[in-house]
Amino acid sequence: MNASPVPRFGETPSVRRRLRRENLARWVFGAMAAAMVLPLVLIVGYLVVRAAPALSLEFVLDVPKRGMTEGGIWPALIGTVYLVFLSLLVSAPIGILAAVYLNEYARENWFNRVINLAVINLAGVPSIVHALFGLGAFVYAAQFGYSIISAALTLAIMTLPVIIASTREALASVPRSFREACWNVGATRWQTIRSVVLPNSISGILTGVILQVSRAAGETAPVMFTGVVFFKAVQRGDLLPYYLNEQCMALSMHLYTISTQVPGVKEAIPFATAVVLLTLVIAVNAAAIALRVYLRSRKKW
Amino acid sequence: MFAYSRPLPFAASLVALAIAVGVSGCKPRSESASTAGARTTIQNKGSDTMVNVAQVWAEEYKKTHPQVDVEVSGGGSGVGLAALIKGTIDLANASRDMKAEEKAHAKKNTGKEPREFVVGYDALAVYVHKDNPLTEITHEQLREIFAEGGKVTRWSELGVKLPAGQDQIVRISRQSSSGTYEFFREHVLNKRDFKLGSRDMNGSKEVVELVASTPSAIGYSGLGYNEPGKVKMLKVAVAAGRPAVAPSVATTLSKEYPIARPLLLYTLGEPTGELKAYVSWIMSDAGQKIVERSGYVPLSHAADRK
Repeated sequence: MNASPVPRFGETPSVRRRLRRENLARWVFGAMAAAMVLPLVLIVGYLVVRAAPALSLEFVLDVPKRGMTEGGIWPALIGTVYLVFLSLLVSAPIGILAAVYLNEYARENWFNRVINLAVINLAGVPSIVHALFGLGAFVYAAQFGYSIISAALTLAIMTLPVIIASTREALASVPRSFREACWNVGATRWQTIRSVVLPNSISGILTGVILQVSRAAGETAPVMFTGVVFFKAVQRGDLLPYYLNEQCMALSMHLYTISTQVPGVKEAIPFATAVVLLTLVIAVNAAAIALRVYLRSRKKW
Repeated sequence: MFAYSRPLPFAASLVALAIAVGVSGCKPRSESASTAGARTTIQNKGSDTMVNVAQVWAEEYKKTHPQVDVEVSGGGSGVGLAALIKGTIDLANASRDMKAEEKAHAKKNTGKEPREFVVGYDALAVYVHKDNPLTEITHEQLREIFAEGGKVTRWSELGVKLPAGQDQIVRISRQSSSGTYEFFREHVLNKRDFKLGSRDMNGSKEVVELVASTPSAIGYSGLGYNEPGKVKMLKVAVAAGRPAVAPSVATTLSKEYPIARPLLLYTLGEPTGELKAYVSWIMSDAGQKIVERSGYVPLSHAADRK
């Protein structure tokens, strides 16, 4: 550094030291950021390599066979789709409407601060506690028994606060001047929400909802307590194998059971199950991103 | 949920709506097997030891009885019996007897006397790593290793020198809701509690896997979970000087092997309809063949040689 033939202006030992530290800091931070890529590549690469012998369309469509040591994962996959779809069917409307109230109607007073606090804290409740709540509230108290309904409602309560938070954020990103312009021509709040606020925030709202798909699909504890079973016999490729007051299988739970409870499972099968779960989640997230890009391209501001 | 003091117009009415739809959309589950359309659902839950054999029962039964759906879940004998007591399932799997207070509780809750069926036998094997030179063990030694107050903590105290060099015994046990845990505690530890510091695994298979990967480990799990070449099952003697018996189907049947237990099913009251048919099928040749294939001891053999 001090080998430069023309001495730099004002380059005292102190400046040189600070420059060295600057370089070191930049290098360390950069390396940490680059290291983020490594686990993802390692996880996905390792899973896919180990799963390769079992992965096929047949694996996705077939039912588990010979004591779950062979065959596919169809009943678990379709069970996960059931649970995620039903839970969002409940939590998305409630969450979005609640967020609209909180963001558009609620005034700053103690009551609404309590609601805010409740939403934030509910979002922080560990999933195993949601599981226990679901067991007590839906399975026993509401008499739904161990069923898809109980499990989906438990997942809905778990995803609700996050949907509320992400929807509020999307609503808050609509500039206040838009609303003021609307109010000033005599529109009511509801008219303003319907014609100005919602159309301008729909991309953010949908993204928030869709991101909850991956969370709901990946959770094991809440569904294991309330309506997901170790095994249930289903026809191969059957699209509607479950009634709503019955229990179902789910991918997350299936992955857990075949890795820890079933002896003699072919080695590639747990990995292939993990790959299918991961693919499902990544596909949904990619859809969310694509949707956001598309809707944002139509924004006029 | 939130503690409101005033109703929220949208959210509250929607919660009410959702619950109303939920209630009208499905009738509450009746106490015995519930019928949805032409199909019957049997809810079966309990012992982790039996969950794999129960799964194969359900898989095979569906082939000949497509109108019956059997839902199988594990969790442990205690979990299955607790659900039966609450009346939320039809059939509980248990690898231990239902306790008297549990029966009383079930009677009080549901008004029905639990009915017990023996559907097979299981031998509990003591597993060590394949390189462990030990070949047999007595109940007394197992108590010293596993029970509270037991003095043995090192392999050298049993006169064993492990090739890998470790000496500390790694004790592998089960979670306390497991029937296997309960059975081992009652029949081997003489109802003494387990020493603290054991690794309590959540499944029978996990015990064998951890033993396979831990040279200094000792654990207990079902005979059906043996993985030859990875772990070794010890011969067990009731007391020093008595013959040590290797766990196998034959020694379980002849009652020579000391740590064996019945596999049980419990129903609320005398089973009827499809549930009755299912239980009978399990006890028939078709069901018993599955018991044997899963590494347990089927009934017919037991009856033959008693």
